[in-house]
Amino acid sequence: MARVELVEVTKRYGQTIAVDHVSLDIAEGEFVTLLGPSGCGKTTTLRIVAGLIEPTEGEIRFDGQVVNHVPPHRRNIGFVFQSHALFPHLTVAENIAFGLKIKRRPKAEVQRRVEEMLELVNLQGFGSRMPSQLSGGQQQRVALARVLATDPRVLLFDEPLSALDRNLRDQLKYSILELQRRTRKTAIYVTHDQSEAFAISDRICVMNAGRVEQVGTQLDIYLRPATEFVANFVGDNNVATGEVVRVHQRDGQRSVVVKSGTLELQAVDTQGLQPGETALLFVRPENIEVLSDGVVPGDEPVFQGQVDQVVFEGPTVRFLVDIDGKPFRVIASGPQRLTLLGSTRRRVRLRFHAVVAIRHEDAGTTSARMG
Amino acid sequence: MVTGGKALAERRDSVARRPRLWTSVVRQRRRILDLVQHGYIWLWMLIFVLPFLTTFAYSLRTPDGISLSPYQHVFGSFKDNLLLSFEVTVISIVLNLLVALPAAYAIVRFPIPGKGLLLAILNLALYTPAAVMGISLVIVYNFLFHIAQSLTGLIGAYVVGTYPLMLIPIIVALRDLPQVYEEAARCLGANRLQTLFRVELPLLGPGISAGILLTFVIVFNEFLVTLFVAGPGNTTAALRVFNLTRTAGIQPSTAALASTMQIVSFVVVIAFFRFFGSRYLKGTYLI
Repeated sequence: MARVELVEVTKRYGQTIAVDHVSLDIAEGEFVTLLGPSGCGKTTTLRIVAGLIEPTEGEIRFDGQVVNHVPPHRRNIGFVFQSHALFPHLTVAENIAFGLKIKRRPKAEVQRRVEEMLELVNLQGFGSRMPSQLSGGQQQRVALARVLATDPRVLLFDEPLSALDRNLRDQLKYSILELQRRTRKTAIYVTHDQSEAFAISDRICVMNAGRVEQVGTQLDIYLRPATEFVANFVGDNNVATGEVVRVHQRDGQRSVVVKSGTLELQAVDTQGLQPGETALLFVRPENIEVLSDGVVPGDEPVFQGQVDQVVFEGPTVRFLVDIDGKPFRVIASGPQRLTLLGSTRRRVRLRFHAVVAIRHEDAGTTSARMG
Repeated sequence: MVTGGKALAERRDSVARRPRLWTSVVRQRRRILDLVQHGYIWLWMLIFVLPFLTTFAYSLRTPDGISLSPYQHVFGSFKDNLLLSFEVTVISIVLNLLVALPAAYAIVRFPIPGKGLLLAILNLALYTPAAVMGISLVIVYNFLFHIAQSLTGLIGAYVVGTYPLMLIPIIVALRDLPQVYEEAARCLGANRLQTLFRVELPLLGPGISAGILLTFVIVFNEFLVTLFVAGPGNTTAALRVFNLTRTAGIQPSTAALASTMQIVSFVVVIAFFRFFGSRYLKGTYLI
């Protein structure tokens, strides 16, 4: 249990920057996920926290103490690898006991602790098996038990579930969360899977090209993406370019009205956009409401569109709706979706919810940032 | 109706019998093929083992008929030669390990410029003809190191000649060993030395044991380089066999020494495979 701070952590390999001034403050007992596409620097960041990689610049602090030059074996961390990394020459029990034996704990204590851990991960009676005799899910659970046995200050997970099949993944991510909650350990979890990140995190740190794009709760990330990258990377979004025409301030929430073609939409703004600026409008397919014929809209703006395509997916229906020549993806769910089947070529009325406006960075600044 | 039914039944019978006939032919052919295959394998086995069997048979032939008495010499006057062979073999294995383990680790884990060239040079001893190696060592020992005809020189010759046999299997094993085990051990609190002894060395077991085995078989039975560098006091078992054959012709006692060497090598190889091939390797990624 420890507070973990990353202060302006940077890792360079020659000319390439793997991690670019990453700062992150993780509270005691908090579960933070580093989410990003492959090659975004999330694993490198995690390995820097573990001490397996030394940062070029910046500081790592555990409970306020700088640990930059503390080797991994003295950091008291638990690292769960993507490939479980169980020692193949040791039994399950010997694997779990490894860290304790290194610390020269008394034999009776080691044995008790191993039993305790096997029970914790629901693998009683598997102690004498070899790792190769276990299934993938069981192996990862042993890896978890091995890490928890030494009572580490910080738990680090490097895509621990990506090698497993879908069902097992869903099952194990909740066991990981439950174990973390029960042991109240600080945890950093690396993944490229949004649903995993959303399911288990207290906060999510979205990374791209070595930089932190946004840190926030699931709701922050989903409803108030701070950057273009986050809006595009997390979930699905319709994008339109427009110009800010007005600024609204209501209940402490700042919003802007953006005009894009014939559309004029009110959008959440977290960047302090000013009238005249070019902005990108993001609206999620599931936040576009298709109004049934009888429904009388309130005072919110309603747009006319023509349905181009309807795909029935069971629980949801996907539409492609043309609004003044621009296609928008729409997802409808709930019983109302069934009334919309077979509406191809029909004109429908649409209402937009939770629209987000983000400053449009021109190509020049974007490429400079990537370098 | 009745006759028609009978004809049908006969036809059914013959149809039923036909495949049985056919399978018996196939079975017979298969048996002949089996015999040929097994015979072929056993023929080669016999050809390989024949020299040893002949030597062994010769070692039992005494003027008084068949007897184990020539083997008294093995534990008598030849005892020192056998013990010397064991001694130099064990020391060579230890030295080879001390040279090859760090070398392999450095070559696999660290970025060394010109690694390919370095490896080629390190493995030079493998392509050097034994006679060339022998004369080179004699020259170097006489004019540079001044350890001609010494035991040190003999062991040095074995290490120089056989350390690639230790190096290569360890390099291969280390290359195949994912670094994640090392990292996992470090994160669990093990320092570099503990990681080496508790995780890496056990997992390198197959490579190390292969190296030990190769070194044993080569050094224990080495003859040609020994002929060049061994001094009068350092007569290994192989050299003794050669000396005796040259001076006294083929004696049953010499054949007994040769047979003993063969049996020792054989037993060591079998024991190694049984030990490292079962308990030790169980569960490692190689099996």
